[in-house]
Amino acid sequence: MSWLRIMTVVRRHWYVLWRSPNRWFDIAVWPVFDVLLFGSLGAFVAQENEASRAAAPYLLAGIMLFHVLFQCQIAVTTGFMEETWSRNLLNIMTTPITELEYTAGLAVYAFMKLVMAMATISVVALVTYQFHLDSIGWGLVPIVGVLLMVGWAVSLLVIGLILRFGQSAEILAWGVNFVMLAVSGVFNPVSALPGWVQPLAKVLPTTYAFRAMRDLLDGKAIPWDDVIAGYVGSIVFCALGYWFIVRMLSTFRARGYVTRFS
Amino acid sequence: MGAVLDARGLRKRFKDVQAVEGVDLTVHAGERVGLLGPNGAGKTTTLLMLLGAITPDEGEIEIMGHRLPKGRSKAMEEVGFVAGYLPLPDRLRVREALGVFAGFYGLNRAQAADAIERGLSRFRVAKLADRMCMELSSGQRTLVGIVKASLHQPRLLVLDEPTASLDPDVAMRVRAGLLDICANEGTALLVTSHNMLEVERMCERVVFIAGGRIVADGTPDDVASMFGHGDLESVFLQLAGNDMDLDEP
Repeated sequence: MSWLRIMTVVRRHWYVLWRSPNRWFDIAVWPVFDVLLFGSLGAFVAQENEASRAAAPYLLAGIMLFHVLFQCQIAVTTGFMEETWSRNLLNIMTTPITELEYTAGLAVYAFMKLVMAMATISVVALVTYQFHLDSIGWGLVPIVGVLLMVGWAVSLLVIGLILRFGQSAEILAWGVNFVMLAVSGVFNPVSALPGWVQPLAKVLPTTYAFRAMRDLLDGKAIPWDDVIAGYVGSIVFCALGYWFIVRMLSTFRARGYVTRFS
Repeated sequence: MGAVLDARGLRKRFKDVQAVEGVDLTVHAGERVGLLGPNGAGKTTTLLMLLGAITPDEGEIEIMGHRLPKGRSKAMEEVGFVAGYLPLPDRLRVREALGVFAGFYGLNRAQAADAIERGLSRFRVAKLADRMCMELSSGQRTLVGIVKASLHQPRLLVLDEPTASLDPDVAMRVRAGLLDICANEGTALLVTSHNMLEVERMCERVVFIAGGRIVADGTPDDVASMFGHGDLESVFLQLAGNDMDLDEP
């Protein structure tokens, strides 16, 4: 592994981010409207029913932590897609950079974007709804770790599908987030989901992360069983994501799909 | 002269098409080799296999002692690649894009800056350094692409149609720059082209491919006389004609 090559990937994508106003929407615009949407929903529910005063923090913390998953996944995936859009894939494949170094570079870049997006979200939630994430406490840190890992794992899956099926699979880069949002119990316990969805929810490590978050919001101690289940699941997801992308890359090379992007 | 590239028994099939059928190719240090053949002959597939971008069905590839695919990363430290049809990352300035590729080749900031200045001067495109890559003409893009491919002073430069659709004066600059690299850095060249005159001027050895097989290998004069012609253009036309005959029902 070459740290120089990893940081070169970060630099390459930083240039693109800096020159592309549309890319700033992911970190400076959509998060604002997500906070406004779910914050307002929570405020409305709280006004209607005194017993539902906890709704606003549940919704706000849910959407804020969902953005950890979303930002991480979308930054890695669109980073890779930038190479296909600019027909740069063959240029990169003919340099010494390895797949692992390239992916690690995208993961570092995604983390930087995540920090910027979380700053935006935190400021908007604080100013608009007087909600701040640190009210949940340090227990949030291991939960964020689970979501980061799942975000990376999902991005590997999506990139693998793009390698295999070409640009028609790009829609999944955004669509998969709605699946995770709906099925992971971001705002609600798994028991509130339809019965046939619940087994799927229980397989996702994100479900345990969001459940742990709600326990923390309720003032309980860190639910280590959920956190550990989340980490075990995310390690499995990352391993599956890596296995999948290696398989797809092998198919990509065997079938000469690089010509699709050059 | 030692071999920088040694490929043995390369075969590649895409569904019903046998794109490459048993290609053996060795390129020695400092050698300038033209890989020629009509459209669909298997030139680009061969190049992409040599670069590790396509996996051969059969065969072995070794670059400077590094066996592909396992040693791909080490092998690519010795190779530079440029294709006339490939753009550079469009939202980067030329200097930034070259800096990124220098990083991929393992050059630190100072080494990269030196290599970029040297390359831009060699091809007389220093004035393009602060231009956006997307604003470059095809000729400028090719020149900058060759600068990119030669930043790390590779032992082998692989060029796929580098002068396709270029004006004669730009094509001449490309040739002069490449010959300068070969003469001063001992770099070997493996170049595909449809411009036979250019290949005769630039390469000391030509390899003709047709139907995925090597049908001739030697100096331009030897290959031309092998087919009973006076120049490569006539050889090319003969092979292209044979291919068209094969396509007819």
